[in-house]
Amino acid sequence: MRRIRGKARQAGFTLIELLAALGIFLLVTGAAFTLLSSSQQHYQTESQVLTSFQEARLALDQIVRDVNDSGYPPPTFTDGVPADSASSPFAWSPGYPNTSCQIATGGGGNCTTATANNTSPGDFDLIIETNPNPLDPTCAPNCKVQWIRYQLLGTTLYRGTAPKASGDDPDADTSTQLVPFVQNVVNNSSSAQITQYQLVYPSMFPGGAPVPIFSYNCDTAAAPSPCLAAGTYNSPANIRDVVVTLIVSAPTPDATSGVPRIVQLSGRGRRVNPNQ
Amino acid sequence: MLISIFILLLISVVAIALIVASGTESSLAGNYRSATGVYYAALAGLEEARGRLLPKNANSFKNTAPVSFLPSPMPIGYVSYVLNPGPTEASGNILTTYPDTEYDSEFGPGKLATATLNTTLSMWDSNPLKTSLNLPGPLYKWVRINAVSELSLKLDTYPYEGTKDPTPLYYDGAHLNDTNSGSQVLEITSLAVLPNGSQKIVQYIVTPVPITLPPFPAALTLAGSVVSSVVSYTAPATNNGFWVKGIDQDCSGSATGPKVPSIGVFTSADADPTGPVLSGIPNGSIKNNNYPGVGGSPDVEVIYTSFPPSMRSPSGLDSVIQTIIQNADATVPTTSGSAERTFLSNLLSSGAMSASSPLTVVVNGDLDLTGWSNTGYGLLLVTGTLNYDPDASWVGIVMVVGQGQVIGSKSGSGEFDGAILVARTRDNSGVLLAGSNLGSSSVNFNNGSSMGGTGVRYSNCWIQKSQPTASYKILSFHEISQ
Repeated sequence: MRRIRGKARQAGFTLIELLAALGIFLLVTGAAFTLLSSSQQHYQTESQVLTSFQEARLALDQIVRDVNDSGYPPPTFTDGVPADSASSPFAWSPGYPNTSCQIATGGGGNCTTATANNTSPGDFDLIIETNPNPLDPTCAPNCKVQWIRYQLLGTTLYRGTAPKASGDDPDADTSTQLVPFVQNVVNNSSSAQITQYQLVYPSMFPGGAPVPIFSYNCDTAAAPSPCLAAGTYNSPANIRDVVVTLIVSAPTPDATSGVPRIVQLSGRGRRVNPNQ
Repeated sequence: MLISIFILLLISVVAIALIVASGTESSLAGNYRSATGVYYAALAGLEEARGRLLPKNANSFKNTAPVSFLPSPMPIGYVSYVLNPGPTEASGNILTTYPDTEYDSEFGPGKLATATLNTTLSMWDSNPLKTSLNLPGPLYKWVRINAVSELSLKLDTYPYEGTKDPTPLYYDGAHLNDTNSGSQVLEITSLAVLPNGSQKIVQYIVTPVPITLPPFPAALTLAGSVVSSVVSYTAPATNNGFWVKGIDQDCSGSATGPKVPSIGVFTSADADPTGPVLSGIPNGSIKNNNYPGVGGSPDVEVIYTSFPPSMRSPSGLDSVIQTIIQNADATVPTTSGSAERTFLSNLLSSGAMSASSPLTVVVNGDLDLTGWSNTGYGLLLVTGTLNYDPDASWVGIVMVVGQGQVIGSKSGSGEFDGAILVARTRDNSGVLLAGSNLGSSSVNFNNGSSMGGTGVRYSNCWIQKSQPTASYKILSFHEISQ
């Protein structure tokens, strides 16, 4: 009798082979998922930075446009009725419009507002006087001059508009109209926060001090010069240029490194309308 | 295989995420670049138009555009466009491709369709910038120049009647007004469009700024020293038709306005009956009739107080003259008398100088009008001697300041409408006189023989029309919301 030989060995993997394959698969997929996770975190952070950047850029454009238009229409155009023309390209408080004030930095000067340690025009506050759209179909042909205010409160830059009214205080009228305009504005951060920022961005916040959003050049008898050095020409009515610097941060720190992500944008608005 | 596909998928996801992120960043930067670029492109249009409004500009509309482009005054409903087509665009299609919707929003629906339209090309579409140099210009498409009214500006201007009228507005130095007082204001509107579609409209309100001239307090002013009599005047000896009238007449020649002195001088000695002026006028009917003014003929009065102190001295008056020279519309070459006359004739024949387009014409030296039988319009400044031939007429201001000498002996029937100022600020060598008093000005209309002509008629209307312009001042700037 022929001995029945054993069946030919069936094709397949041994347990060892399976374990090796599984190990390799786990290693590769693990690495891939790690890479994906890292990329997602980067993407999330970059998206936040870009969102903040975009928001700030749009705001900067709007501020510059408002500054360019400030002082329109001049008083020579109308009968002097306050709502019909701009008494000054930039409003202030107190004493507006009869008693001017001195612009200063760091909350100094005497263009003080009801907000503590705040001045307007100041480092973080500006009230523009203009008729932004005389042909606005919602009000034409009787569109009036407005006060347009930008004020930083905390880390939010607010914008508000109020109709210019005779005898009113621009500060009081606009302070109730403010709505959030740009969030995560860190120009006026605390010293501790600035120190943290400087670890990542050494060139930002020179001297470890807050960076004014608004700085001003005033018309003088000669060329325009910084209002702080303009002597008797230091007045909101003489502001010619407004340099705008916005520093915004992403809402959350970098997901991978944990460091804050901030960007700085600069622009310059130049009043074209004549001195009032 | 499966693993490879899976890994490829993951890597693709990462790559797409990065592309999206960088694309967003590029878009942001691009948007800002566009917004800034289109703003300055529109401003470039405004500034080109503002610059070309000035007659002294080599590329002024007066020199480069049809005469009808910029009438003075410009009526409401008259619209002039400066077109700036791109390299692949036709100028004739610009206003169709980039329609001006702003005009109707200011003046009312359908107003642009019924307006009188004039066009000219931007300097960027003219030689040498375009053809020879092939320089890419700013990307504005058109600039509109037009008159404005209370109605279009949606403002009630001086004198504040409480209504918004459709009449053209003027600027008197203190107010916009609708009383025809001062210089007309013009609106300049510029549209810029970038290839990516970004658009911007910006707008100026401008007005010409006249140069501060000396006053013209009399039909003929013989300026001189305020302390001694130094002027001289000799009237035509036998010409009964020669008048120096201090009775203001309008631009049509009708006497309507207030009276001013016939001849103004700086000292009482000059105005004395035995002084150098009155003794130069023939006695009899000429003296008794032909020099009327505030008083009866002959009305010769001391008017130096009308001059600001800064203009009573040679240096002060000379500085005004230098300003006029710098802002002249035309400077006459003084190589010869015939060259001067040909130049003046060419100004007329080319249409550059006319009643509706008075010019500031400077002759830096002597001017010999012998044989020139035309009428000039505007401000004529002669720093040397004016040799007047009464075949010629001049409508506007005549200033003979420098040598301060006027002579005449020919026959003719021409006249001056406006005012004449004669003053000596320099010696025969052309050196500025020292001290605070002007030198001896002289008018001799009997220079060898009795001159013809009908004399001088004071006209404040023509004086105002002849004021030279130093610049177009920006009264307001405004960005149009879109």
